[in-house]
Amino acid sequence: MAVISPSEGANKTRSDLIAYATLSIISIFCAVPFFWVLLASFDGNAQLFLRWPEQWTLANYARVFTKEDGAKWLFNSLFVVGGATLIVMVLAGLGGYALSRTRAWWKLPFLYAILLIRVLPPTALVVPLYKFLLTLNNAEGALLRPIFGSYARDIMRWTGFIDGYLGIMLVLATMQLPLGLWIMKTFFDGLPRDYEEAAVMDGATMMQRIRRVLIPLAMPGLAAAGLFAFMSAWGDFLLPLIFLSSPELQTLPLGLFRAFLRINEIDYGLLTALAFIYLLPAVVAFGFARRFLVQTFSGGVKG
Amino acid sequence: MARNSHEKRTERQLLLVLLPSLILLLAFVIYPALYSVYLSFTNEALTGAAALRPRFVGIRNYVRLFNDAKFWNSLFVTFVFVMGSAVIGQFVLGLISAMALRRPIRFRQFFSSIILLPNAAPEVVAGFMWISMLAGGEHATLSRIVAFFGIDPADWLNAFPLSMIIIVNTWRGIATAMILLTAGLSTIPSEIYEAARMDGATPSQMFRRITLPLMMPTILLYMLISAVSTIAVFGLVYALTRGGPGGATEVVSIYIYNQSFTAFQLGYGAAVAVVALIISLILGIGYVRAMKVEV
Repeated sequence: MAVISPSEGANKTRSDLIAYATLSIISIFCAVPFFWVLLASFDGNAQLFLRWPEQWTLANYARVFTKEDGAKWLFNSLFVVGGATLIVMVLAGLGGYALSRTRAWWKLPFLYAILLIRVLPPTALVVPLYKFLLTLNNAEGALLRPIFGSYARDIMRWTGFIDGYLGIMLVLATMQLPLGLWIMKTFFDGLPRDYEEAAVMDGATMMQRIRRVLIPLAMPGLAAAGLFAFMSAWGDFLLPLIFLSSPELQTLPLGLFRAFLRINEIDYGLLTALAFIYLLPAVVAFGFARRFLVQTFSGGVKG
Repeated sequence: MARNSHEKRTERQLLLVLLPSLILLLAFVIYPALYSVYLSFTNEALTGAAALRPRFVGIRNYVRLFNDAKFWNSLFVTFVFVMGSAVIGQFVLGLISAMALRRPIRFRQFFSSIILLPNAAPEVVAGFMWISMLAGGEHATLSRIVAFFGIDPADWLNAFPLSMIIIVNTWRGIATAMILLTAGLSTIPSEIYEAARMDGATPSQMFRRITLPLMMPTILLYMLISAVSTIAVFGLVYALTRGGPGGATEVVSIYIYNQSFTAFQLGYGAAVAVVALIISLILGIGYVRAMKVEV
């Protein structure tokens, strides 16, 4: 319409105003809870309630790394979640490729089955999973002890299923795998087969095709799958709570939770500094993942 | 013939690269899910006599479940939690945000970034933020905000536990609803609105007659996704209330955890888990069927 009548123009301004007002109210609702963590972490005398710091300080952050085990928790979280993310990227890359290129009869049933796996609540799985991993762990211990003697315990810290890095990595990765497989399958569906077929003509083996042709092309998809795996695993609290109990393996959410459970005076400065450190990678990853979000919540799960 | 055997070999190779994923999913998801069904028919425990020699007890756990007021309470709390936060709270605020952000106004990027922020906060951090917001006494943030409207301060989390965890979970999920509903809105051609405006339709008429009906598939899909993911919420509620006070916020996932790891009754906890699995699977099958429609 070329000419906007005066009344319609006024209408438009009014509904724009309504849009601004509602968006402002929702944004305030969304943003306000973050202020406490942000301000209290720089407050020399932080309290449970929101206030403007009288004395700004970095001492809370210093304490996280000097007096507390903050550095260790951060390392554990980055190591465990990073490892899980890597596992998801590799397995979802391979599996997604297979799911995209195969024409086998089981393809569709399998795709819908893993969609169903995604809806199972982890709380309902952790008890049997715990028992299963305990069995694997005992078997591994029985195998390693005669061979490595007293070193077996150190090895188990890295490769153990309960209270070891390997177990929690595998469990975190498995929980993120269905979404990763769907993302990669959808991604490969969008990649033309020409490149691979040319490689086949040149007599390249399957592995060569994957390494030289597919991996470079698949990078954007792998980045999306990795980001989603990282975000979910980074935020997860239940699985580390169940599968890690020794202090030297604690991850950030567990350290944060224990810092809050102290019976004596809770150190809010320390707590919020820890929370802010934990929050930051999540927000950064989320910022990167934004453009993939729409596809994943709606289209990403389309066959 | 040669081509056929080549294809067969390719199929086998493809199956081979899928195998590692398959093994992990079978070992760490499918097997535990089936094992929890088995556990639910035993008196397995973490400590005591039953821990050493667990016995098969038939449907005793389920009979007990049926007569367990705390179990029914946890189902009821979960229902209210899902309805309040996912079906109503996140949906309404997400839809309002999506519709407002559809207009060509300024600061769209800014507004949508802020609304996405709560979704990025890890569960435990989100829990602590809200413990501060909802703390007792007149200093706490919420008390100061409502004082502005002449409402007395309260110990919010203790006075209105279920309402508060609903608000917190609503806060956390507006972004998911907004993103999905934005995608749904963008599929409605603007010509329909133009035509309706020509015919003199009011905005509320357009919303009821055009937007809602055409959005129905998206809304249904959103409801299923959000219901399933809300049933699985654990860390947020655990950090906020741990199920208390007096079971007021004991959603099913908290009840499973408490029965299994606080009361050490793995068999009984597994029976609750099986109920949660069945409910999620029923919703999940609906979700998968809704997806099939779109494929």
